[in-house]
Amino acid sequence: MTVFNPFPIVRADLRRNQLLVWVTLVLVALSVATGIAVISQERALREGSARAADDFDLLIGAPGSATQLVLTTVYLRPQAIPLMDGGVLAKLSAAEGVKYAAPIAFGDNWQGHPIIGTIAAFANRGGTLTPTQGRMFERQGEALVGSDVPLAVGEQFSPAHGLHHDDDDDHDSEEHHGVTYTVVGRLPARHTVWDRAVLVPVEDVWQIHGLAQGHDPHGDPHIGPPWDVTRLAGVPAIAVKPDSVAGAYRLRGEFQGGRSLALFPAEVLNELYMTLGNVRDLMSALALTTQVLVVVAVLMALLVGFLARQRQFAVLRAMGAGRVYVFSVVWLEVVLLVTLGAALGTALGWGGSLALSHWMQSELGFALPVRLGAAEGVLVGGLVLSGALIGLLPAWLTFRRSIAEGLVSA
Amino acid sequence: MMGLGSALQVTNLRYGFSGQAHALLDVPSLELPAGHSLGLSGVSGAGKTTLFHCLAGIAKPWSGQVCWGDTDICALTPEALAAWRRQHLGLVFQDFHLVDGLTALDNVLLPSYFGHWRVPPGVRARAQDLLASVGMQAPNRLAALLSRGERQRVAFARALLLQPSIVMADEPTASLDPEQRTQLGDLLVALARSQGTTLVVISHEPDLLARLDHNLVLHKGQLHARTSQEVAA
Repeated sequence: MTVFNPFPIVRADLRRNQLLVWVTLVLVALSVATGIAVISQERALREGSARAADDFDLLIGAPGSATQLVLTTVYLRPQAIPLMDGGVLAKLSAAEGVKYAAPIAFGDNWQGHPIIGTIAAFANRGGTLTPTQGRMFERQGEALVGSDVPLAVGEQFSPAHGLHHDDDDDHDSEEHHGVTYTVVGRLPARHTVWDRAVLVPVEDVWQIHGLAQGHDPHGDPHIGPPWDVTRLAGVPAIAVKPDSVAGAYRLRGEFQGGRSLALFPAEVLNELYMTLGNVRDLMSALALTTQVLVVVAVLMALLVGFLARQRQFAVLRAMGAGRVYVFSVVWLEVVLLVTLGAALGTALGWGGSLALSHWMQSELGFALPVRLGAAEGVLVGGLVLSGALIGLLPAWLTFRRSIAEGLVSA
Repeated sequence: MMGLGSALQVTNLRYGFSGQAHALLDVPSLELPAGHSLGLSGVSGAGKTTLFHCLAGIAKPWSGQVCWGDTDICALTPEALAAWRRQHLGLVFQDFHLVDGLTALDNVLLPSYFGHWRVPPGVRARAQDLLASVGMQAPNRLAALLSRGERQRVAFARALLLQPSIVMADEPTASLDPEQRTQLGDLLVALARSQGTTLVVISHEPDLLARLDHNLVLHKGQLHARTSQEVAA
């Protein structure tokens, strides 16, 4: 078998046809970058949103929309949801197999940061979270801030009414005069929207809104459970930490009924992911279609380029180059262009996806972890393989063409 | 003496396009001793290029033999023919056909890549010597930037790189200005003689043809001898 080196010709051709080279590289790169961005962003959204729901094993709310309950509670999307009878909280708190049953009460904000009334057991996630600064709240009037809240430990602030800060809406942003919280601690970053939240004793939220505070005002002064069932206000949601999987299913069955809605946020997310999956499939199909079109366009451009150079290839063969030599030149040029374009597109898609995640994190409130997975590998590998296969066509046409025909071609 | 020329012996060569009843080219016999030079001329359409292609193994004739030395190139497979051309034949074209994206030196070295991954030892030095001998002063300049005269000089050097026993040139001076025509025509003949190669040239240039050992004219696909007076005219 004859050893040969087609690269001097490949290099010379690529150098000489720079317009074709750059157009091909840009088209392939954009096509790959789009595909990678779509796939990696969909995965990042799925993983990021799932991570945000990790703190909510079982969620109890008033009968209604499960999606609305999850969005409002897990992702703190400001929506008014119906209140549940306070008796549910008391019953859950005393139920067997419950580590904690934490009321989640909304209604106020500080400069757009939602103020959530809850109990200390939820704030430290059953003792698994330790404040990076200060301590947990221990009495009314104390607040624990998420890692992204620009309040220092020791600082005081007044809450404003409303689920979100709105400079143009005086009603929603009305300040609760005379109410002041003191920041006593800061939680570590969880990379969820809860990093933007301010956690206070739920009794404070009830008190500010003129509701019963769950305890006998003349009894033992404390915050959190045990509750006085006769003095419990309605709550929009309860985050339950069961002590076992079996317990979680039992509790869901027990509290799923006319008075309350019990759900696993992960299940609701799964339904969303199925919908999201359909969108992803659609986007993937669009990306694939784009890639096919790009490959076809590139092939046509290269084919025209190769046909225009039939004389050059004929001259090479007349000078002693074998048919395999010119076949290799043509095929390598196609493969090199597609591979380089794919590599460029991978870097572009990866970088673009990172930038998009950074921007979306500030919009959604939870981190979108971008990584390259098998799907992206299949996308890039598939494109390169397609290029390698499709490149066989012009290579074969050049291989088959007679030298005499090539020499007299224009 | 570097290469030793191959003798040419053509027997009953007939060539035509497929589907044609009559041959475009009919050469019952043609002989050229090793190391000699042959000029082919004729009006346009007489079959010069077709004969050139047949002698170079580029076109396959209907019938007959084209023997260079002991090898009947009509009987070779495409790959064997490519190897034969690589080892025995140097080609010069009217339009030079350099690869514009390569330097003059890399163009000369190009044939060595058809049979090797790396340029064999000594071949690079030979390429540089050949470029110097054809008067090429800028071996590292891109071919796209060379003048027509310079391009043809590089083409001459490329044809001689692998010390072929045969050099064939198709109208090698036709696209040059009159001064360069004479200069480069002289150079081609001198180079071929100095290397002992058999030289076949298609040309209409009387000055060039007059320097060759033998001259034939093609008329309607058939060869006729030319006297030196006819050549000079």
